[in-house]
Amino acid sequence: MELDDIKKTWDEMSIQVKEKQNLNLKIFDNMSKRKFHSHLNKIIVPEILGSAVCIGSAVFIGFNFYRLDTISFQIVGVLAILLFVIICVLSLMSIQHLYKAGDINKPYADTLKKFAIEKIKFCKLQKLNLTLSYLLLVTVILLLTRLFGRNEITDSKYFWIFSFSIGYIFLVFFSKFVYKSYNKTIRETENLLNELSN
Amino acid sequence: MENKNGFIKEINENQGLIFKIASIYTNSIEDRNDLMQEIVYQLWKSFHTFDKRSSVSTWMYRVAMNVAIYYLKSAKKKVQTIPMEEQFLHFTEIENKEMEEKWQVLKHHIDKLNLLDKGIIILYLENKSHEEIAQIIGISVSNVGTKFYRIKEKLKQQILKQ
Repeated sequence: MELDDIKKTWDEMSIQVKEKQNLNLKIFDNMSKRKFHSHLNKIIVPEILGSAVCIGSAVFIGFNFYRLDTISFQIVGVLAILLFVIICVLSLMSIQHLYKAGDINKPYADTLKKFAIEKIKFCKLQKLNLTLSYLLLVTVILLLTRLFGRNEITDSKYFWIFSFSIGYIFLVFFSKFVYKSYNKTIRETENLLNELSN
Repeated sequence: MENKNGFIKEINENQGLIFKIASIYTNSIEDRNDLMQEIVYQLWKSFHTFDKRSSVSTWMYRVAMNVAIYYLKSAKKKVQTIPMEEQFLHFTEIENKEMEEKWQVLKHHIDKLNLLDKGIIILYLENKSHEEIAQIIGISVSNVGTKFYRIKEKLKQQILKQ
């Protein structure tokens, strides 16, 4: 297919869709009504649930803080609470912009510029969030031994070997994949921004 | 009511435009239909602000392409879609199989362009002049010329590679 063929296909499609005029008052009223109701229900379930789990976990550690009997465990406990709260806030911040509708009457290039800047911010926040999640994982493994009481499992040296080694291997592979994907997106978006400012 | 009838008339006259833009910016029929509905809804919301300094189609292109960008932002996080009215949906079906195949090849080539180039090539294919493209995109006429030349080269390279 050459450029002329692309143009020809586009024109053929234009003729095909021009022949059909299906929108009438009744259909339009129904569409508008449904659209209005959908705006009332615009709740992002996974994010809300994720945030609730983070806050719940922070509260749980707070309530069981007395179980952390040494100063080092108390420091880890405070760190875990902070991480849960920060991750929750970062997650909400990174998705917040997705629902901000801008001025749709603006020139396309302005919308693209805003889109590109927000996308870069989003990727950077997600990367930060991921890094903090690793730290959180380590703190949670450490706290498990105190928060749920000492038992055969947590007293076993295998618990520590397996939890840390499996956690570490998982994190290495997962982070490699995620960072690669975010870095690619950031690079492409920065190129677009450069092109827009030329 | 008169306003609404006027709007519906404009949509009917330009629904091909909405279909083509929605189709280029999405990768599934479901997403395309969602985007089409979103474009119609946003056009209606800003219909009263249309000041008639530009043509209706120029205004529609601008709004439709902007809505497509906002849709790209939120599509992955979307949890709820609204079923589109059957009758309105009907016109979006490409009835001819050969046409569908050709359309997919066209889409494949355009998909490889970045969002700015995508916007420019859509308007070129819609027979818009460089002045109109500059007005809709918001860049200078000379910039449109330069970018258009580069896009043509990119497309040529893409086609040759295949």
